[in-house]
Amino acid sequence: MKTLFDFPGGVHPPQHKQQSNPGKLMDLPLPQRLLIPLSQHIGAPAKPLVKVGDQVYKGQLIALATGAISANVHATSSGLVSAIASFPVAHASGLDAMCIELETDGQDTWHPDITTANPGQLDEQEIRQRVLAAGIVGMGGAGFSSAAKLATDTPIHTLLVNGVECEPYITADDTVMQIYSHEIILGTKLALGLLKQSTCKLVIEDNKPQAIAAMLQASAGHDDIEVIVIPTKYPSGGEKQLIQNVTGQQVPRGKIPANLGILCQNVATMKAIYDAVYLGQPSIERIITVTGDGVKQAGNYRLRIGTCADYVLQQCQAEQPNSQVIIGGPMMGFQLPNTHVPLIKTSNCLLVPSAKALSDASPAMACIRCGQCEIACPAQLLPQQLYWLAKSDAFDKIEQYNLMDCIECGACAYVCPSQIPLVQHYRYAKGMLRQKATEARQAELSKQRFEAREQRLLDEVTAKEERRKTRAAAAAAAQAAKQKTPAHDTAHQATLANNSATNEVSHKDLKTAAAIARTKLKKANKAYEDAKAADHEDTDKLQTMVHDLQQRSEQTAQALAEFESQVQVDPEAEKQAQITWAKANAQVRKLNKSAPDSSTPDDEKAAHKEALQVAQKNLEQAQAKLDHIKNSSKEAQS
Amino acid sequence: MMALFSSPHLHGGNHSQRLMLLVLAAAVPGLVAQIYWFGFGTLLNVIWAITLGLALEASVLLMRKRPLGFFLKDGSVIVTGLLLALALPPMAPWWLVSVATLFAVVFAKHLYGGLGNNPFNPAMAGYAICLIAFPTSMTLWTSSGEYFNLPDQWLWFWTEQGNVDAITQATPLDAMKHLQGNTIKEMLAANPTIVNYADAMFWINLAYLAGGLGLMLLKVFTWHAPVAMLSSLSIMAFLFGTGEPDLYAGPSEHLLLGATMLGAFFIITDPVSSATSRSGKLVFGVGIGVLIYIIRTWGAYPDAVAFAVLLMNLCAPLIDQYTKPKAYGQQH
Repeated sequence: MKTLFDFPGGVHPPQHKQQSNPGKLMDLPLPQRLLIPLSQHIGAPAKPLVKVGDQVYKGQLIALATGAISANVHATSSGLVSAIASFPVAHASGLDAMCIELETDGQDTWHPDITTANPGQLDEQEIRQRVLAAGIVGMGGAGFSSAAKLATDTPIHTLLVNGVECEPYITADDTVMQIYSHEIILGTKLALGLLKQSTCKLVIEDNKPQAIAAMLQASAGHDDIEVIVIPTKYPSGGEKQLIQNVTGQQVPRGKIPANLGILCQNVATMKAIYDAVYLGQPSIERIITVTGDGVKQAGNYRLRIGTCADYVLQQCQAEQPNSQVIIGGPMMGFQLPNTHVPLIKTSNCLLVPSAKALSDASPAMACIRCGQCEIACPAQLLPQQLYWLAKSDAFDKIEQYNLMDCIECGACAYVCPSQIPLVQHYRYAKGMLRQKATEARQAELSKQRFEAREQRLLDEVTAKEERRKTRAAAAAAAQAAKQKTPAHDTAHQATLANNSATNEVSHKDLKTAAAIARTKLKKANKAYEDAKAADHEDTDKLQTMVHDLQQRSEQTAQALAEFESQVQVDPEAEKQAQITWAKANAQVRKLNKSAPDSSTPDDEKAAHKEALQVAQKNLEQAQAKLDHIKNSSKEAQS
Repeated sequence: MMALFSSPHLHGGNHSQRLMLLVLAAAVPGLVAQIYWFGFGTLLNVIWAITLGLALEASVLLMRKRPLGFFLKDGSVIVTGLLLALALPPMAPWWLVSVATLFAVVFAKHLYGGLGNNPFNPAMAGYAICLIAFPTSMTLWTSSGEYFNLPDQWLWFWTEQGNVDAITQATPLDAMKHLQGNTIKEMLAANPTIVNYADAMFWINLAYLAGGLGLMLLKVFTWHAPVAMLSSLSIMAFLFGTGEPDLYAGPSEHLLLGATMLGAFFIITDPVSSATSRSGKLVFGVGIGVLIYIIRTWGAYPDAVAFAVLLMNLCAPLIDQYTKPKAYGQQH
């Protein structure tokens, strides 16, 4: 006997499994209408390949997977495509989804491409291709693409085949194991072949003796497949609990079982892999338990995917075929918003409670923190705290209490003496947390978009301004080139005249003219460079302009130099310059003296530093001016 | 039964009323023992406290515009009344029981928002208020085996008329606190009534222990808080009592005198006002055990369960903050 590790919490609800007669498989007559949803899996919906009015055959691919974890959808019988439109589907939200509607022709003709194969003659790639093409998804309820799961890059050492079926009432997997034990083993061998260095543990709860016997018999002689029997305790079939129970390990938060080298698959999925590889049949049917006190013909039925719930309920003589039906088990299933919905690859149970059972539900009372929920919680949370936090909308705090680790198994609400619908509160809080995360993400995106737009507008304005300046500079330069030549001549003549009365003015004028010429040259040069960089057409024009301006600049500079070398420097100006220099010098010294120490606040330090820099600059300028005056006066004297 | 609107659609059939009834049933042996040793006063206390408690609960519910029947039938006020009455001395007159009940039900429970929202154990809050306000009346314990007959007790309860001095005495815990230079042994040798009284308390505590163990087996509460409290109290008594057995009572005295077992299994297991998680309940219980020893030994009051519980009620939110269990997948 294999040692098990158990898992914390859990409950023992009454099983009600015999009610649906496990091990006996029944067929229902083929319905006239099949409604096949394009999304029966996690991931993107498949893309329809047929159009209204097309004749399709059983097993024909009618919608193609559109992503890595999407799954193909096949016609589940032969007939005509009568609609491709939105219909209500089996989802708690009651929202519609795209479906392909088939009017069956009753012939149930297989598509000619469906061919059997001997896997011994197929290579690994062909087997993978067959699993992928068959559109197999996890049939325990998760709906994750099996081909994607088996294509993992992480090395897998243990394949856990889940035949636990811990939910009360449901016996679909029990029936699959009793009837298709050999097919399950062959499917498992195929999966092991794809995973390479892996052994299989097939886990069954001890309340299914016939299934255990069947699987033990079928697995005899296969050393790499071990049948493990675990005690009945809900929710031992939950993936995380199953792993903890069998291996003693916990899937770390935010990781998947593959990170531990473990891969979980449902027994019915293994049978589907067998069908796909050996028989070439895609995922077009499944076994579903129809049970509950409200249904006369309870049992396990083989159904085509796309059969509508109301048809099944009618065939099984349900007490109330049009309302109050639970899809899935009593612990985690949900009430169908209406029964005109198709059953899909993941639908394992239709539960019809009696009218009396429904009226017995009592209203919730106050939480007394009795802690029964904490004892029952398999995720080791504090359900009573989560409840109080959810009720008071304390979403930040509820995250710290690990709400997101809740698997919504319902064990807490099952034991709650105050009949509080705890899971409902957790779903609400989880929804709010997801919404808050989405809002935060959207706000961040909006902020980024807003900032990008502001930057773009700013850039546009700057660029426009830049262009305007360039144009203005070019125009002004051209104007100056035309008009300034005579002005220069006048100034030059004035210099030559060496008129002492106009001396000061002429000196100033010459300086201004030289400065303007330099600036214009600079601008024109820049405009030319920019234009050249931007591959502008008018670069030639600009080049000429720059050339002209260069000449002008040189001329004015020369004129100024000539003038300065000729005139005697005003002694008044020298004195003024000396005074300016002395003042600047004093300022620098003063600032140096009052240099800040470590106790000075940072902003004061910065201000002081700035002031010192300004003073030093002033001093330099004063020095330069003084030197210049002295030099020029020396020259003038010599 | 099946509830449709949200999974799970199955319910285990456990009800708050069932829990309350189990607690009431488990307290019966203690109640009977208390009546047997200390007279009919306790019985009158119980009847009056429960009757008045129900009336007060109903009037507060009316004032708060809550449906009467739905909330009254949760049974919580009956448990509060019973526990309060068991804690009160057998010679408590009607007004004392009334004040305690009023404070427990109206102030400690409903002013905080009613069942599930009270930070303090209502019974202990009512008890503590009376102990502080009416210390003399709160220490009127009958001698073991000597008490009024029912008519005399009835008269005493309503009018406080009767020769009460003949039948009352100091409790053993009180006597051990006021040794007046004697050792414990000498004090006991000089006071045979104290020895008788201690025997009575021993049996009463055993009765509560039996009821409490029953509740634990029925999973009404987990072992954590009671075991933690009794262990820490024993360890404290052992540490101090071993060194100075003449002055400090030992573990057995502390475990089997006073309200120890009533406190451990019926008071500190009140889930509303205790710490939440199982590890939190351990801390909660240890704190109560230590405080009981400290207050009994060095405090001004003869028994300490009420104050210890109220003090630890105050700490419960803090304990909760630091005793969150690690969720699945966080052990790595």
